[in-house]
Amino acid sequence: MMLDLLVIGAGLAGLTAALRAAEAGLRVKVISKGMGALYWTPGTIDVLGYIGAEERAVQRPWERLDELPARHPYRIVGAGRAQAALEWFRACAAELGLEYNGREDGSNVFTPSPVGAWRPSYLLPAGQRAGDAEDDRPMIIVGFQGMRDFYPHLIASNLKAQGQAVRFAMLPWSVLSERRDRNTVQLAEALEDPKTQQRLIDALRLVVKPGERIGLPAILGREAHSQVLTALAQELNTAVFEIATLPPGVPGIRLATALRRGLEQCGVRVEIGMEAIDFHAEDGTIEFVETATSARPLKHRAKWFLLATGGVLGGGFDSNHEGRFWETVFDLPLTTPPDRQQWFRPLFLDPQGHPALRGGVAVNEAFQPIDAAGNVVFNNLWAAGGLLAHADPIAERSLEGVAIASAVAAVEAIKAQAFARVDHRAFPSETP
Amino acid sequence: MAPLSWHSVDLTLDECIKCNICTSHCPVSAVTDLFPGPKYVGPQAQRFRENGQPRTPDHSVDYCSGCRVCNEVCPTGVKIAELNARARAQIVAEKGLPLRNRLLGRNELLGKLGSFAPALANFGLHNPLSRLLAEKVMGIARHAPLPTWSTSGTFRDWLRRTRDQRLKSSKKVVYFHGCATMYYEPFIGKAAVVVLEHNGYEVIVPEQNCCGLPLLSNGEFNVARSYHRSNVGRLAGYARAGLPIVGTSTSCTLTLKEEAPELLDYHDEPATTLKLGTYDIFEWLRERYEAGELRTDFQPLPLKLPYHAPCQQRAHRIGKPALELMELIPELELAESHARCCGIAGTYGYKIEKYQIAMDVGAELFEFVKAQGRDVRYTACDSETCRWQLEHGTALPSRHPIEILAAAYGLYDLERRDVIAGKRDRSEKR
Repeated sequence: MMLDLLVIGAGLAGLTAALRAAEAGLRVKVISKGMGALYWTPGTIDVLGYIGAEERAVQRPWERLDELPARHPYRIVGAGRAQAALEWFRACAAELGLEYNGREDGSNVFTPSPVGAWRPSYLLPAGQRAGDAEDDRPMIIVGFQGMRDFYPHLIASNLKAQGQAVRFAMLPWSVLSERRDRNTVQLAEALEDPKTQQRLIDALRLVVKPGERIGLPAILGREAHSQVLTALAQELNTAVFEIATLPPGVPGIRLATALRRGLEQCGVRVEIGMEAIDFHAEDGTIEFVETATSARPLKHRAKWFLLATGGVLGGGFDSNHEGRFWETVFDLPLTTPPDRQQWFRPLFLDPQGHPALRGGVAVNEAFQPIDAAGNVVFNNLWAAGGLLAHADPIAERSLEGVAIASAVAAVEAIKAQAFARVDHRAFPSETP
Repeated sequence: MAPLSWHSVDLTLDECIKCNICTSHCPVSAVTDLFPGPKYVGPQAQRFRENGQPRTPDHSVDYCSGCRVCNEVCPTGVKIAELNARARAQIVAEKGLPLRNRLLGRNELLGKLGSFAPALANFGLHNPLSRLLAEKVMGIARHAPLPTWSTSGTFRDWLRRTRDQRLKSSKKVVYFHGCATMYYEPFIGKAAVVVLEHNGYEVIVPEQNCCGLPLLSNGEFNVARSYHRSNVGRLAGYARAGLPIVGTSTSCTLTLKEEAPELLDYHDEPATTLKLGTYDIFEWLRERYEAGELRTDFQPLPLKLPYHAPCQQRAHRIGKPALELMELIPELELAESHARCCGIAGTYGYKIEKYQIAMDVGAELFEFVKAQGRDVRYTACDSETCRWQLEHGTALPSRHPIEILAAAYGLYDLERRDVIAGKRDRSEKR
């Protein structure tokens, strides 16, 4: 039962890394403290939306990676390999029943955010594609009275201020549910019932004018999303698109669920509720990672370990009031400024981002964590995703792209070791 | 009620970032408006609760089934289920407890009483008239899957009867059977004993109490404390001597390890020694397997077997060792359930106002079993009340994984639910 690879973290980086490794025939297991951060995301795949304090959004992400900091994960991976990784992801998602689309020419697509800003993404789930800013049809944003965390008037008025032809409508809560209160996930499940779908279609018919595309909160089905979407578009004879809601984000949950299912089909176990708390290493080689249980720690042995625990929000880092900032599993060296006064800028939404959020785990060309002197910390440890240094995925709108590109790059490096049995210092610079 | 320290739960409360992952997974709030969800009832209402505060801010906490799915999925480590259990205990301390909940919490006493005349007790409890009466008078749902007392004697009776056949060995293990094995399902204990003996271990079965979980989940913390104190007194010495204490009931072992110490703030040296020495039986067997010490002379078991790891097993956070070991059995075709909960949650689904909620929660699991096809003969699940609920919801017999393992060793008849006589003698001569 000896594992080849233990992946710590079940966010996008962890799950795609596990899938990539399992495809190559490695024996993989994923452990995670809770359900991963995909549950908080809008389910889009963002590659690069903003650079530094520049106000204008990025149009063609692949052409602008060179403007990022020198040790940014994208600069390590390289545009060609990153693009190939995203293409691989798109094919995987399609195989798992989730269609992701972008623009042929690789430029960003802009769709409405939950507050009505235009949000740059590289790949969109099929359900969000018709929200494209370049589509010249007018929009109607439809909400439901009493539904928390989705405000169509806010979305519509902000989009209007930016020149979009748009109006909004509110439907009664009873269209969606006879229950008193439901969150987005429960509403998505309820909409898989044909009767509820029909109620929604009938109600929409009364408010939608010919030629309008319809923006709805992202609750159009959970497992049967594509059927719900098709049914609505066909019956109403117009384009229908989802707008992400505040968490829990159903499109992100669909992606997490599909990836977990894909892993299960490859025989990979994803164990949730397992918090990594300690590890043991001999001579720079990690022998096992320990997770908390109801009594004593449980050991997870593997040949190789991939850390994908995310950034501050995902749980990859923790800090205390005394000014310590640390990586939660291996206490890896971090690039975060040691002085607490240097962590933040005065403005919460500072366009430069906060130094604490750009700090993280520095890696070498093979995505192995390194210390300040550039030495590999553990010879069988790799890192991917939100914990990597020199990226600020939220400010850059690069969260998913960095996760996928670094996960693939790290697994390619692991595979090089697995199959070539090469010395750990000698990695191929390019993958075939 | 003894004052509780809110220390451990207080700290985790502040970890809540209101992301609603718990509410999205909560199997109870998915099916009823009576429970608004873990986030609201747990970390949010908790801000309005304080030790010694006269009134609870939210009575809907009574509809929390205690399944712990919220804890499992929480990305930030909030102990939501514990917050809820303590809040319920506070309500009980304020308002007292209905006779029914008092009764349902006293598993051990019920077991003992029925075992004096099990056939009579079974008739007395299980005829439609008395079930109707129990529903009308006490609020115990008439269709709820209550267990039947063993009519072939208790587990301890069997141990006494087969004393001479039991293996003596320098390798010893302590077995915690729990009330269900003792009074209702002695065959689970028999299967455990023959599996452990097959692996060369002498099985010690000390006097023991109910673990106290039914009391904890019904909010009777004081009585639960006395049960736990008694178990600690009886068992900690074995743990201190380095003997593992293994159990087949995942909820009993979870209570000894974590629930009782945490909910009752019971962290003295003997309780901690017991906690650290207690194992789910498959958790311990997996350790033996990983050390190369588990016998793997399994016979083929050509069965299609849907396996559900119950909530209380998942709450151990040990992965699914039963599944991993059953995977070693030739020709056994396992299907892993990802259903959140069977609904019964100990005594929750026995209560008339919660019976339908429990059945609606379980629908996800029942449908999973149904989807496995018509050639499924058994389901498997580690927890007793969950097996009874599974049988109730699917009309298929359910087995504990230890029965499956014993059967694969050729020591146990899965259909009759009994050890195969004489088998152990042969295995001893190896």
